[in-house]
Amino acid sequence: MKKVKALILTGFGLNCDNETALAFDLAGAQSHRVHINSLISGREKLENYHILAFGGGFSWGDDHGAGVIQALKLKNHIGQDLLSFVEAGKLVIGICNGFQALVNLGLLPGLDTDYTRRSVCITFNDCGNFRDQWVRLTGNGASPCVFSKGIELADYPIRHGEGKVVADPGVIEQLVANNQVVFQYADSKGSPAKGVFPLNPNGAMADIAGLCDPSGRIFGLMPHPEAYNHFTNHPDWTRKKEQFKRRGEKMDTGMTTGIRLFKNGVDYIQDTFF
Amino acid sequence: MDNMISCIEIALKQELLDAQASSLKKKADSYFGIGIESARCINIVTIESGLDGVELDRVKDEILTNPVTQVSSLRPLDIDFDWCIWVGYRPGVKDNAGATAMEVITDVLGKTFGENEGIYTSKRYCLKGETLTRAGVEKLAIELLSNGIIQQFKIFSMDEWDKKIGADVKPAKVILDHIPCFDTICIDSNEMLSKISDERNLALNLRDIPVIREYFLDQKVLDERKEVGLSAPTDVELEYISQARSDHCNHNTFNGIFQYKDVSTDGVIVENSLFKTYIQQPTLALKEEKDWVVSVLWDNAGVGKFDDDNNYVVTSETHNSPSNMEAYGGAITGIVGVYRDPMGTGLGAKLFMGSFGFCVGDVGYDGPLNPPLHPRRLLDGVIEGVKDGGNKSGVPTTFGQTLFDSGYMGKSLVFVTALGIMPTLIQGKPSHEKTTSPGELIIMSGGRVGKDGIHGVTASSESFSENTPAGHVQIGDPYTQKKMHDFLLICRDEGLTSFITDNGGGGLSSSVGESAMLSNGCEVWLDRVPVKYEGLDMWEIWISESQERMTIAVTPANLARFMELSREHEVESTVIGEYTDTGKLHIKYKNETCAYVDMDLLEKGFPSWEFDALWLPPEIRGLVEPVISTPSDFNGLLTRMLARPNICSKEWIFRQYDHEVQGGSVIKPLVGVNHNIPSDASVTRPVLTSKKGLAFSQSLLPWYSKIDTYHMMTCTIDEAVRRIIAVGGSFDHIGGLDNFCWPDIGFDEKKNPDGKFKAAQLVRACRALKDACMAYKIPLLSGKDSMYVDGYLGGQFGERVKVSALGTVQFSATSVLEDISKCVTMDPKVSGDLVYVMGTTADELGASEYYDLFGKTGFNIPKVNFDACKICYKALEKAIDKELVSSSHAVARGGLGIHFSLMTMAGGLGMEINLACLPHFNEGSSTNGFTDEIFLFSESAGRFIVTVAPENKSVFEKLCKGLPVSCVGVVTDDHTCLKIDGRDKKSIVNLSCDALDKAFNKTFGDYI
Repeated sequence: MKKVKALILTGFGLNCDNETALAFDLAGAQSHRVHINSLISGREKLENYHILAFGGGFSWGDDHGAGVIQALKLKNHIGQDLLSFVEAGKLVIGICNGFQALVNLGLLPGLDTDYTRRSVCITFNDCGNFRDQWVRLTGNGASPCVFSKGIELADYPIRHGEGKVVADPGVIEQLVANNQVVFQYADSKGSPAKGVFPLNPNGAMADIAGLCDPSGRIFGLMPHPEAYNHFTNHPDWTRKKEQFKRRGEKMDTGMTTGIRLFKNGVDYIQDTFF
Repeated sequence: MDNMISCIEIALKQELLDAQASSLKKKADSYFGIGIESARCINIVTIESGLDGVELDRVKDEILTNPVTQVSSLRPLDIDFDWCIWVGYRPGVKDNAGATAMEVITDVLGKTFGENEGIYTSKRYCLKGETLTRAGVEKLAIELLSNGIIQQFKIFSMDEWDKKIGADVKPAKVILDHIPCFDTICIDSNEMLSKISDERNLALNLRDIPVIREYFLDQKVLDERKEVGLSAPTDVELEYISQARSDHCNHNTFNGIFQYKDVSTDGVIVENSLFKTYIQQPTLALKEEKDWVVSVLWDNAGVGKFDDDNNYVVTSETHNSPSNMEAYGGAITGIVGVYRDPMGTGLGAKLFMGSFGFCVGDVGYDGPLNPPLHPRRLLDGVIEGVKDGGNKSGVPTTFGQTLFDSGYMGKSLVFVTALGIMPTLIQGKPSHEKTTSPGELIIMSGGRVGKDGIHGVTASSESFSENTPAGHVQIGDPYTQKKMHDFLLICRDEGLTSFITDNGGGGLSSSVGESAMLSNGCEVWLDRVPVKYEGLDMWEIWISESQERMTIAVTPANLARFMELSREHEVESTVIGEYTDTGKLHIKYKNETCAYVDMDLLEKGFPSWEFDALWLPPEIRGLVEPVISTPSDFNGLLTRMLARPNICSKEWIFRQYDHEVQGGSVIKPLVGVNHNIPSDASVTRPVLTSKKGLAFSQSLLPWYSKIDTYHMMTCTIDEAVRRIIAVGGSFDHIGGLDNFCWPDIGFDEKKNPDGKFKAAQLVRACRALKDACMAYKIPLLSGKDSMYVDGYLGGQFGERVKVSALGTVQFSATSVLEDISKCVTMDPKVSGDLVYVMGTTADELGASEYYDLFGKTGFNIPKVNFDACKICYKALEKAIDKELVSSSHAVARGGLGIHFSLMTMAGGLGMEINLACLPHFNEGSSTNGFTDEIFLFSESAGRFIVTVAPENKSVFEKLCKGLPVSCVGVVTDDHTCLKIDGRDKKSIVNLSCDALDKAFNKTFGDYI
């Protein structure tokens, strides 16, 4: 059977490539970790893949704004390849540092089909520090996003110092109106956090945790779905396990909400390209 | 082309929240009571280059400015202020952001930076506030925003500000204007060499000097040296010897001879080597017994078996001296440095987790002594250093402890631990084995060499004083190292490397010197070593401790592929020499020999260090139990205890550390319904496709050293083991790491009058280490010692007061779990569950947190009964394996009162406890006369609190039959309070979760 091929960028301080690759494998794809310079040198061709993943990490140390140099480097060397990849209807996902790179490339939010304009910035958390915390997300059922299909609530960890999504109020309005806001930080019941810390851990405008382009095929989010690749990743798993046991039930130890997100992408490619 | 100096200023748009400025405002207020009304931060990028105006505009607009959030200008930004503080690095200090700016400009503009070109970053802070004064602003600059060791600052009032030239930032570049050379050193007499050693900061030990002279005056040696053009020793050679013989590298203290005398008994016991007797010998014995022990006692880290296909690698370090002078730089260099150890173990491991341990003085200290950095600032700095170093390395920081004690004001401690994983076999060969062979090339990969770090090793082997050279403080660069980490793992997997080690203490001198022992010789070409700037002398290149470098042996046949991968990963690698079998360490610079010594020189009968150790047992020191009657307000007492710095929540530290990266988190550092209670241990899946996990815990109990370091050591080890067992670890697989941090033990009537006692304390701790390790069968996978934890602090009358730390050991424990789905956390989970206490509570309040509350030490120190504990631990391990236990928690500092409280908060449920039901400590013995405060706050070792479902009651109790285990209460959802009945069945504690939580978060709860 033909396999969906996912390319996960590596190198220059990126650091979530192994678990992101694992997440794609668990979702049924064939993952390939590829060094950014292999794409630039042409040794690896983007066109040979279906899904491109910009993973988490600290590319170039994030010294001049998170994801800024990564975006510049890719734009400079393979900018056209990226646009062709998007035009071919393939999928791009950016997680954390990858999301930051996507907005700096302009691939997100891609308003008015302009995939080069920077209209959103992801900047320093209002709390003034790097933060590792599990957040609850509410998914936007009306979003065209391919990856979030059927995910109404999700718990994923955030781990960033620069995760606050900022844009001109007009841009935010447009994103909301277009249903490009895929995930919002939420309270335990799934209602948007309304900026309340730490439910919204970084002060993101409109509680934005994830955005897609108008086509829904380019997707970026600050939380890390790949870090919820196994049921034991969830901070409450020991308690849930015990509570299920007392009810005479077994906790679901199968596919996590984290992996479901990747599977949505893989399924989309299978349905569309094969 | 002429170089121009341009400054680009970048700031957030005014309407956006400047989080950095907010944090500055908050700290200025809470630390110094200085009110800032508004603040803005401006980043300044100073470029010295031949870039033209168009190119500079592109750098500004396309690279350095975010159009959505930032404004920028090639001229000073016109931002209003009352006071402006500019802060920049001193020349030669690692400027990571400057380096990445050059990298991206080279990429985008195709512009390479020549010798006199460069990019330097700095910051200025625009402050407004009616009450701000120059003195206040200067205080902020000195005590908050800069550290004179690595940074410089300027202060401007609005009147002094020239809107055109702004802060007038000059490139912070190093110009040495020096032609590299080497000196020969006169060794006519011992006195002469000793004097030169002092002048040149060689830190040669007086006892070593005759041995060194004898070698260089030997006729055979002289004849051989003549052939390569040398006679008297060169500075390169003496620096090499100094590094190798330093206490840091050679562990002279642990290999020293101790004459141990206990004043209460007759006779003297001679300890010939604490290391050999108490660490090496038991570990080698246990290695025979435990087939999971793969490699110990020789490499950069120890190696244990994880599963059939993978081994784990573990080591732990301290980085104390540098952190005391520049907390951020010292700590980031420490964590990034310890991460090179697994990378340099065997053929190289992939990092998968790290941990921290901070021991500092009182953060609220306002007494007369002036430490180099106030404990509060020091803690801020080390937290941030480990944050940047750990997070940017892509390694989760899954465990850590922070301790406060006045003894650490002389010198604080920064422990850093690293764990890696590597395939058991690489290209069919065991990955933990490595060697160098004649003909193999010596390659240095990673960063470049500069003046930084010179004499770091010898400085950490001395007490801190105002004469300690500051030049050895560095700033680690996790970005460069992460690239190197990824690159070297690929080289390893392709079988390109035959040996690898890191450049840490002693730089090339240690890494090349030690690796050349294996092939029995080397020739090094120092002129080929890439340098940060010209003008370094040979000895400086040879011993520089510039960070992020590995030394690797590669055969000529593999060189081309190795270099190809190096280029692809943009890691600098250089052939700097060749391994030989000539028996000589031969160093050249542009074909001129500057060092030529025998590889076996270091084995030439250098004398052992000698110490007198005099033990004064606690009763002879007059220690007794304090006289304190039973309190009547246990609610007030317990809430006060929970707020104490050594007990209370340090959530804000854990939150700054990525503990999830790599996707293997199973038990996190914080647990419970609100994810805010410290876990007993962390559990991680280093191999994501396996159901096995690695449990990791650490313990630090320095307070017990006030009474007896023997019991300090056993209690520390027992706690680390207990923590491992509590999460589901296996008693049969516990690996240990010992990190000793001790004050000076060399007796000196004037400078160290209690040196003999401290030496005896060290001996006793080592004896306990062996006893505990043998009893629990813990091989010591790795360990380190850091001596001289003393400081001489300036007082208010111009005096200097020596402040020494308590003898401190951080003990770390590892265990491999067969099935992570059986792991247990400490939070009670279901109402109706029974609460059990396992292990006996004895009258052991000595040096407890409870006595400390009253400023007392006491006498009755906790003692570990290894045999009794072992049975209990095995029983709990079995109960967890059979999934009988729904929560389990190791009772640690603060005793049962504190740990019932932590469990109550973690569960968010009520707990009803009856102290009268606590297990007795053995058959027939009585706890009559035990008071409620003994039960609540005694820190007896070997205890757990566990909760068990009612349906598992009988099976659990059967499993624990004959053990000191009893049911003491119940978990309930009738309320969310901790209710404790005392011995006489009367209620003594009734506190809601909210009240407990408020107390627990009172001290640091508003820290983020």
